[in-house]
Amino acid sequence: MSKKLPGYGTITVPQEREVPFGAITPAPVRQQDLFVTSNWRMVRPVIDQETCTRCLTCYIVCPDACWSYNEEEDQMEWNWKFCKGCQICIHQCPVECLSPIPELDFEDGVHRLEKPF
Amino acid sequence: MKPFDYKFQTFEPIKSFRSAPREEIYVPGHRTCAGCGPALNYRLVAKAAGRDTIFVGPTGCMYVANSSYLCTPYAVAWIHAQITNGGAVASGIEAAYKVMAREGKYDGPFPNIIVMAGDGGSVDIGLQAMSALMYRGHKVLFICYDNESYANTGIQTSPTTPYGAATTFTPPGKAIPEGKTLFPKDPPQLVIGGHPAVKYVSTTSIAYPLDLMNKVRKALSYPGPTFMHMFTPCPKGWQFDESLTVEIGKLAVDTGMWTLYEWEDGAYRYQHLPKKYKPVGEYMKLQGRFAHLKEEHIAKMQAFVDQKIAHVKATAIPVEAVPPMAVKKKKK
Amino acid sequence: MPQERNLTGCSAAAQAAKLAEVEVICSYPIRPYTAIMMELAKMVANGELKAEFVHGEGEHAQLSVVLGASAAGARAYTGSAGVGVTYAFELYSPIAGGRYPVQMAIADRTLDPPGDFGSEHTDAMSFRDQGWLMGWACSPQEVFDNTLMGFRIGEDPRVMLPQAICQDGYFLSHIPDKVIVADPAQVKEFLPPYKAPHSLSPTCPVSHGPQIRPDQGAPMDAQRAATFLEVPKVIEEATADFNRIFGRNYDPFLEKYRLEDAEIAFFIQGAHANTCRKAVDAMRKSGVKAGMARLRWLRPWPTHEIAVALAHVKAVGSIETSTSYGGAMRGGNLIHELRASLYDLEERPVVTSFMAGLGGETIWPEDFHFMAKVLTKMAKDKRADQYVRWLGFEAD
Repeated sequence: MSKKLPGYGTITVPQEREVPFGAITPAPVRQQDLFVTSNWRMVRPVIDQETCTRCLTCYIVCPDACWSYNEEEDQMEWNWKFCKGCQICIHQCPVECLSPIPELDFEDGVHRLEKPF
Repeated sequence: MKPFDYKFQTFEPIKSFRSAPREEIYVPGHRTCAGCGPALNYRLVAKAAGRDTIFVGPTGCMYVANSSYLCTPYAVAWIHAQITNGGAVASGIEAAYKVMAREGKYDGPFPNIIVMAGDGGSVDIGLQAMSALMYRGHKVLFICYDNESYANTGIQTSPTTPYGAATTFTPPGKAIPEGKTLFPKDPPQLVIGGHPAVKYVSTTSIAYPLDLMNKVRKALSYPGPTFMHMFTPCPKGWQFDESLTVEIGKLAVDTGMWTLYEWEDGAYRYQHLPKKYKPVGEYMKLQGRFAHLKEEHIAKMQAFVDQKIAHVKATAIPVEAVPPMAVKKKKK
Repeated sequence: MPQERNLTGCSAAAQAAKLAEVEVICSYPIRPYTAIMMELAKMVANGELKAEFVHGEGEHAQLSVVLGASAAGARAYTGSAGVGVTYAFELYSPIAGGRYPVQMAIADRTLDPPGDFGSEHTDAMSFRDQGWLMGWACSPQEVFDNTLMGFRIGEDPRVMLPQAICQDGYFLSHIPDKVIVADPAQVKEFLPPYKAPHSLSPTCPVSHGPQIRPDQGAPMDAQRAATFLEVPKVIEEATADFNRIFGRNYDPFLEKYRLEDAEIAFFIQGAHANTCRKAVDAMRKSGVKAGMARLRWLRPWPTHEIAVALAHVKAVGSIETSTSYGGAMRGGNLIHELRASLYDLEERPVVTSFMAGLGGETIWPEDFHFMAKVLTKMAKDKRADQYVRWLGFEAD
């Protein structure tokens, strides 16, 4: 009798569609490259290193942690990959050494992604 | 059962931006709006807490926007919770670590367990779980990041939405000109005094990052439950230019719409109390959610704030917790 | 040394949980399961059980607390009954899909409205499709045994699923019977410690449950379903091990009582099976070839085992102690999957269902004799005249 009963078929997830067990993903280290946001911005903050006092305000106020202080070079460095162009850093800089420059003005401006995410 | 005397983490106060830990625990690469106040807040909280931390993320902007899609910006352990149960899931994690530490199955530092709940997940749908956590005395820091709405679902009213604010559930109209007619709950006051195991409650604003980070560290050094109410402006929901997020965070304090304080075992201490309060209009005029209000509504808001200010003035022992942020020079 | 004791189903569950060395327990009182928690509380207070006993603020919180505890790497235990089970509903899928092998003891209780402390299976049945392992015991001994088997099967790396270990309220939860309480050494041999594959920890950071896109949802579902294809094998292995170590004789999926040559059969789960067995014995004495198939695991439903076991039977009646209002048979729940299991047989039994024991009523031997008469006539006529009979409520 049992050989006539239907089976349950197979359930195999193709490799390109695999999702991790229990939806548990590894934690990112330093930055999350699976969600690049550089293509969001219309302007980028450009720094005048002469006027900059290295107060680190821009570093503190960025929701996307796009400013970091390079101790060796004694310079503020900007993360082009994730800056969304919100301009909080420009607005909060106490010495106004940051300016919003249109993204299209830059050769490497408007970073195009293959797919949105 | 012998008392839980497992060694907890200790923290040094952060004295300057330069001396704050450089390591990013809330890393770049998340789908939050440009200029997101809660995101900035999360970054500062994570920075202050350090690596030995487990975050609990109830559903909300700091879940959905952060973790889209199938990736997160948390360099430490993190778990999603329902919007209803941040406090309960955190309780379970804490209980597990207690028993594992007690029975020798875990010998690392007792992790910071931090619930990062929105206003809805703290004092509306999440209120029951939050209160029970406070009552049971778990060593957990419960953070209410307050963007004054259910933001992730498209800006609907929550119990902390201010009087007069337009949201998609409190739109202004002919019959209801203010939009929102109700005054908000006061989350820290829900916790203070009614939960004997809670010894520390504080409020913060993203405009005062050192104050914020030091209050987080202070809360994390307590052996029991602590609560923080954190002001996190939302450019999308409140309808202001995203570059103004930090400025709005400061104006709220300058006008008395938000008060920075610590409550520690019965005593209140205030930080950055304005010598002279600005009128609430200065805060409200920058935000589209208040644009529909008439003089009489703004006056009502001012009266509400004046009452709060009077109470503060009567009880205040002002203590400058940390130096304020660098003052912005005026544009020429 | 194993000890023979006289225990209620609630006590049996508590004793088994203690031997399983559960680490985080979350309590909340609701009849008729509360005694499980009261006993565990005493054990924790005396230092006999080294667990964290968390006073949940409600059933929704209970399930949330054990989710967190399991995610952090602890063996977690909770329980409820009736509307408590339905209050916690939001958590069932997150726990199962998150692969947290917590155990929930359910002492069944009829759902409101209004308050009714008697047993109906509808409470646990209501979440049978959320991805948990689920099964009913028919004696305090089996409650004890299923508790241990639940952890072993649920925590198996091939499974990693939560378990709902169910017992009829009052009939099992409150009436004591002989239970052989295992020796800790036996439990140690049978049940390895819980090892969470990616627990929340400062040393190896992971993110549990980021938001996904709709096209990522389908693979999640498929993976969960694929796991259920593996579960029966694990159940078979664990049951064989259990029988060997503890000296019991369980069939992994179905208790088959006098079924081999039966012409009519009762399909049943839970405590009323005890009355059914007695009734079957009486029927046999009077020449009726009756038998009983008792379902031990509702999820995963043993489709093929049921088909094979009942293929030769002429008429089968399911005893329904749960309700499915507006359901295909306008009666209970078991009947739908029973009929589905038998559908593909070349020669299949005639099938009907009987609503009995609802609200917590006793099912009497006379009720089984009435059902046997119905089944005998159906077998003779080679057809079912009705999908369902609501015993005691039919118009004459």
